[in-house]
Order: sequence, then structure tokens, then C-alpha cells
Amino acid sequence: MDLYAVVFYAFAFITLAAGAIVVFSRNIVHAAFALLFAFFGVAGLYVLLMADFLAITQLLIYVGGILVLVLFGVMLTSNTIDVQMKTSTIQTFPAVLIVAALAGTLIGIFWSTDWKTTTDPPIQATAPKIGEMMLTSYLLPFEIASVVLLVALVGAAMIARREKKA
Amino acid sequence: MIEQILHSLSLFLPETTLTVFFCAAIIVGLVAGRTSRASLYVALIGIALATWFAIQQAGSSEGIFTGMVVVDPFATFFKLLIGMSAIVILLFSLYSAEVQSTAHRHIEYGSLLLAMTLGMFLMAGSTNLLMMVLAIELTSLSSYVLAGYTREATDSSEASLKYIIYGAVSTGLMLYGVSILFGLTGATDFYNINRALATGSVNATALLVATIMIVAGFGYKISAVPFHFWTPDVYEGAPVTITAFLSVASKAAGFALMMRFFKTCFIDANALGLPAGMWASLQGFEWNKLLAILSVLTMTLGNLVAVWQNNLKRLLAYSSIAHAGYMLMGVVVLSDKGLAAVLIYFIVYLFMNLGAFYVVMLVANKTGSEDIDTYKGLGYRSPLISVAMVVFFISLAGIPPTAGFIGKLFLFAALLDAKWIWLAVVGALNSVISLYYYVRVVRNMFLRDPERNAEPVVFSAPQVVIVLALLIPTILFGLFYSPIVELANASVVMFGMK
Repeated sequence: MDLYAVVFYAFAFITLAAGAIVVFSRNIVHAAFALLFAFFGVAGLYVLLMADFLAITQLLIYVGGILVLVLFGVMLTSNTIDVQMKTSTIQTFPAVLIVAALAGTLIGIFWSTDWKTTTDPPIQATAPKIGEMMLTSYLLPFEIASVVLLVALVGAAMIARREKKA
Repeated sequence: MIEQILHSLSLFLPETTLTVFFCAAIIVGLVAGRTSRASLYVALIGIALATWFAIQQAGSSEGIFTGMVVVDPFATFFKLLIGMSAIVILLFSLYSAEVQSTAHRHIEYGSLLLAMTLGMFLMAGSTNLLMMVLAIELTSLSSYVLAGYTREATDSSEASLKYIIYGAVSTGLMLYGVSILFGLTGATDFYNINRALATGSVNATALLVATIMIVAGFGYKISAVPFHFWTPDVYEGAPVTITAFLSVASKAAGFALMMRFFKTCFIDANALGLPAGMWASLQGFEWNKLLAILSVLTMTLGNLVAVWQNNLKRLLAYSSIAHAGYMLMGVVVLSDKGLAAVLIYFIVYLFMNLGAFYVVMLVANKTGSEDIDTYKGLGYRSPLISVAMVVFFISLAGIPPTAGFIGKLFLFAALLDAKWIWLAVVGALNSVISLYYYVRVVRNMFLRDPERNAEPVVFSAPQVVIVLALLIPTILFGLFYSPIVELANASVVMFGMK
């Protein structure tokens, strides 16, 4: 195993293990902290793929922004820190069956499929290229994404606003 | 590049209009004050203008913004349909007690309706996986908020939350499917995906799994079984206006995107020896069988469960699930005739379903209830509205001489044409079941005595005008259906397809 593979498996393990803690932990603070490592692991995978811009964005926005916001949300919302979330498992048997079948199929196809791969050499600096694409070929999705965000803002403001009883 | 973008912009006028008015609705609302109706009027003007611009594009067929979206007769048809139902919904809203009682949130109502319409317009034209997901997200995000618009009512908040959770799961599944499809073909453009698949080197199982996951996203939008669980609760909890909008426009946009996705991605462009107007799916991947199963499940479950409903909004929710099942039959047959039948059905469905929801809203305005018992003896308390309701219901059941019959007739004709006899039989049996629950309401209105000292229910003139505006086409198109058939036949043309 060369160094590349070792690093890949290390990052993959961090991501998966942290993801499992997020899902299975009954303490919301633990889950939030585990999320940090999951995001971090994904950023590492991006670096391995030579996607420098994506890796930095992942760190800045997810780890630096969203996660800190989640932690603040947990901290400032009263009574969430000690609350034991109600997570009970029902219908274990059918769920296990379905999950096993689904996982089997997915692993099967990931194993056997000939994925479309490129032979182009990796791009050295992706940021300029991405910037250029966003304003040319991907102009429309880029602009529509901003409308989507504006809608999310308007919607969130409407749901969260406190109103005086008329 | 610049010239290309400028040219694309000129063909993007309807969507640009909607975006500008979306911002305008917020600003005008802020200037005019919280309780003013100004935002609703801005939304009405914006959508009317956008629909007008969309009509102007009739006949053009072109891919714009480097193939992200297309402007073609098929997209124009759905933009017209979506725009018209948005206009009708805004007119409803001006007379809805639910919406008017929350006057301080009119800004959000108007602007989000515009955003939702924009999302649906984009869904009608998307030919790229990226654009498809974004358009669905834009539509969904606005509808989540609007479903919870009457925040004071607990069932409205519940509706919104359920909608978000189911929506998030199905969007997640869809994105996963999209990523597998991209991994298989290396393309996000529908036409390039088709080219990559046509080489025949793609693993069929992987493609099937990806397609099923993507269908989860479409199925959620058109509320097909087994992705329908949100439908009854959301339809019951959301304001009636939004319920009506979701049941017609959202479904139309979902169908438009689904039909385009399946036809452009999975058509075998080189198939030989096919009769005119028929197409073939790619070798080894019969996705239409998948949709046939979905169609049977959807209509059967929708109809069987509707029989037990006592709340009219829930009843119409299950009935709309059943109608999605009928329309899926038209996609299964792989022919232009089938597609045209779906388009015809949508025109008809627009009038009859909006009409039924409007009457439910009017009655709920007066009585505060949507329970079937409220309708006891309504025929004597308000003859005009009750007769209108009867027409909408027998049209939904598909009985002549209403437009609903024409819709079903063309669907079944397309099925028989393509030798899908068993599916046609299932569809016909389902129509019979549906008759039972529609007639149950009619019986309550006319064959039951009103409760003692019940007074006549009177409706204002504009409300009656709106009812008539929906009632007359429902009857008229049942008798003179050639215009809608011609419109539908002219609109099945998709860009880049034979």
C-alpha cells in the first residue's frame, strides 16, 4: 500500500466513524462535535482528489461556519444540552432486512460497475477555472442558486419571527 | 460567450420577469406596510406578465444557457398551465378567509408564490441534472414555507414539518441517484447522458438503482405511491389555496420534468421499424415497466383510501394521488399519443381540481369546517355552488359530458393503441371505485336534509364569477374538445427529439 492509499483510508475511516457517532449518539453536543470530524474527513478526501478549492470551501463554510453556528444554536437554546433525545428503534427486523438488501445492492454495484473515469491530468489550481465556469457555462445554476438562498432566507425569517398576538 | 448569454437572456424573459417581481413583491410590501395586500397584487401582475411572455415563446425550440434549460413547445405548454393555475390561486387567495386573516404575512405569501412559480417554470424546461435538482429545490423550499403559512393552526405547522422531512429524504435519495448516474455516464446534460447510455457499456443494475432513486424525487413531487405519505397531512394542514396549488401546478411541473427526463435520457434514438409517434426505450432498460407498477400502485391505493375519508381536503388529497396514477399510465406507453393524453388530462385537471378545491374553500370560509357532514343538505342552502361541486366531482370521476371524461378517454385510447390492455383495465376499474367516494359527497349535498334552522349560504359576486370561470370550461371542454387536443398534440414536441 502506498502512502496515498494509507492517507485515503485514514480520512475515509475518520469520516465514517465520526458519521456513525453523529447518527448513534444520544447526546446532541457529542453529535455536533463528531460532525466536526466528519466534515474534516471529507475535506481531506477533497485534498486527495486535488480539489483544492472545494477542500478550502468545505473547511471555511462547513467546519468554520455552519458547525460553529450549530454549536451556538445548541448552546443558546435552553435545555438542549442535557436533554436525552428520544431515539427508540421500532420495527427492527424489517428495517434490518431492507437496510441489508439496500447495502448489499449498493456495494454490489459499486464493486462491479465500470465507472466513467477521465485520463486528463489533474488541474493544478482549480479556483480560477471554477470561477470562470460559474460565469460562463454554469451561469444559470449559479444565479438560480442565489434565488434559492433568498427564498430560504425569506422563509426562515417568516417561520422564526416572533409575532405579537393581534 | 457574451453574445450567447445575451441571446439566452432574451429567451429567458418569463423567468427573469418572475425573479424581478419576486424582489419587487418584497420591496413593495415593505413600502406599503405590513397589512397591505400590495404584495399579492404584485405577484398577480408578475405571474400574469410571465405567463404572457411564455405564450409569446410558442413555437420556438432552442437550448439556452449552454443547454441548462430549453425553450420548446413542451416547456411552454407547462409554463402556461403553471402560470394559469398560479393566477387562479392568487385570485382564490384574495377571497380566502385563511389567507386574509394573516394579513401581516402577505409579503411572504406573495413573494414565495412567485418564487415557487419560478421554480416550476425552470422544472418545465430543465435539461441538465444540476438545473433539475436546483429547480426542484427552489419549488420545494417555497412550498415548505407556504404549507406552514397559517402558523397559528397547529396542523399547518405539522404539515410544514412533515413536508420538509419527507422532502429532505426524497431529495437526498434523488441526489444520490443523480451522482450514480453521473458516475456511469460522466455527463449532467440529458442529451449527453443519452449518448453515453446508447453506447451500451453501462452496467444495467447500477442504472436501474440510480433511476429508482431519481424516481423517488419525481414521485415525491407528483405524490406517487410509495412516496405519497406526506400528501394527506400536508393537503389537510396547509391553507386550501396552497393545497390547490400543490395539487395542480406542483404536480404538473413534476410530470413535465419526469417526462422530459425519461424521454430524453432513455430513448433509443436509433430504433428502427417503429410506427410514427412511437418511441423505444434503450435496449435492456425498460423503465416504462417500472412506471407501470408505480402507476397501478398509485391509483389503486389513492382510490381505496379515499373511500374512507370524511374530511374533504383529505379526500381530495387521495383523489389527487389517484389522478397522478392515471396520468402515469400515459407516460408508460412510450408514444406521442400517450404524452399528448397526459397534457390533455392536465388541462382538464386544472379546471376541475381547482374548482373542487375552491368550493371546499368557500364552504370552509362560511362554516369553518371541511367535514363531509357540513355538506349535508348544502344543495338546498346554496344551489349554485352545490351544482358546481357536482359538476367538478363527476368530471373528476370521468363521466360524460364533462371534460374529465375526455381526459380519461384519450388516456385509455393511448393505452389500447400501444396494447397495454391490462393497465387500461386496472385504470377503468379504478375509475369505478373513485365514483363511489365522489358520489358520497354529492349524496350528502342533495339527498340529505339540512340540519334544522340552517340558513341559506350566500356567496359574493366575485366568488361566484370565479366558480363559473372554472365551471364553464369543465363542461365546455367535455363537448368541444378539439382545441385542447390540438394544443396538446402541438405541445408534445421536445427540443432535440424527433
